Amino acid sequence: MRRTDKYRFWIVLLLLVALHFSIRSRLGSARVAPDFLLLALLMYSIRSPTGISALAGFLVGLAGDALTPATFGAGMLAHTLVAYFASWAKAVFFAENLIVNGCLFLGGTWVRNLIVALVSGRLKGGMLGWELLFWSPLQGLTTAVAGVIVLVLFRDWLAVRRTDV
Amino acid sequence: MALGADRYASRGDTALFIACLALSLVAMSLPDRTREGIATALRDTVLLPLLELQDQSEQLRTSRARFAAVLAERDSASLAAAFLPELRAENDRLRALLGLEQRLAGGFVPADVLHQASPADPLTLLVSVGLKSGITPLEPVVAPGGLVGIVRVVGSATSEVVTWAHPEFRASAMAADGSVFGIVAPYATDGPKVWLLELRGVPYRQAVANGTVIVTSGLGGVLPRGIPIGTIIGEARQTEWERVYLVLPAVHPAAASHVLILKNGAGAGRAGGGADDMRGAFGVSLSSPAGGEAPPNP
Repeated sequence: MRRTDKYRFWIVLLLLVALHFSIRSRLGSARVAPDFLLLALLMYSIRSPTGISALAGFLVGLAGDALTPATFGAGMLAHTLVAYFASWAKAVFFAENLIVNGCLFLGGTWVRNLIVALVSGRLKGGMLGWELLFWSPLQGLTTAVAGVIVLVLFRDWLAVRRTDV
Repeated sequence: MALGADRYASRGDTALFIACLALSLVAMSLPDRTREGIATALRDTVLLPLLELQDQSEQLRTSRARFAAVLAERDSASLAAAFLPELRAENDRLRALLGLEQRLAGGFVPADVLHQASPADPLTLLVSVGLKSGITPLEPVVAPGGLVGIVRVVGSATSEVVTWAHPEFRASAMAADGSVFGIVAPYATDGPKVWLLELRGVPYRQAVANGTVIVTSGLGGVLPRGIPIGTIIGEARQTEWERVYLVLPAVHPAAASHVLILKNGAGAGRAGGGADDMRGAFGVSLSSPAGGEAPPNP
């Protein structure tokens, strides 16, 4: 592996962060638009040790919570859990496959939204049902599609072993 | 990609994971003021470049629509300018007649709403101006349709706005014609009803007709008089001494992409009422649908 490959991976992550804060608002409602920040976190997590992934999740959650202080802490907890288990599950169960990655992005988004909704305690009853059964799967789907597109477009850049990151 | 056996969690990984979980739980249990302090500090430092990027993107996204709006405003302004000297002279004459001092011109600061993805928190907004633009807490935030909320926390370049849907929001209000006064508050704290308001404290014998426009009354000095809040759509409930009416809000927070933050000066001097309030600025008619005395209680 060339030394520059490692930097290419970070460039993709930075690109995803930039997309989150630039074009995301043009992709429809915030409840449905792909979460590029979570996508970057998941891409990082499946290539990193579980502890480092948890720390990355915590930091991403902290950044998200700083922008929505009313649910402060819920995002940190959710992103920490999702990043940790994504890293762990990828190591134990999953093979390197485009569809498997897409499912991981979908599931990660849904679980993140589930934890935030439950822990923050702000959604109850029918609202919680709609969030978990309609909006979250929809956002998971758009995030998964965006993730698969990124993986296809940058397949050479993202073909980095976990221990190289 | 090869996946090695070293991917399983080591003791250090587990410790780091547990530490992050513990910190998350600690963050959730922090008092509101501490949370807001941390959030503001982060927004003013590490997140500032990203928020500026988002602000630039928002401006770019709406630049075409705003250009058309500016053109229309320019045309209107050109037309109005033709009558301006005459109006100003007449205004000066009236002020002199009433013995009033020249009032300071109020101002406002335009801001972009930086929409964030949080299904659990649609009740606060982040806007793209802060201390650098002279924003201070408790300043009213309005959209062209009416009231959006109030500034709660101010950072150097961003501010957090509590919308009218927030459980803690209250505003002194009145009918547009000044016939009825009360307090406006969110109708519910969760569920779909959270997107409605209610007008409380209306005397039992005073009926408010559907379609009546409700505006801020200026009482308390936080919100200037005359900002539209919403329209009466029905009676929610009644008690022995008061009626509570449902109010359809004039502006939905999710629909606001650009807002104006009224500077303190904009409200000063208007709280006392009179013709100098903001009803004219929002195009609110002073007449209202027929209301008046309520029918006797059966």
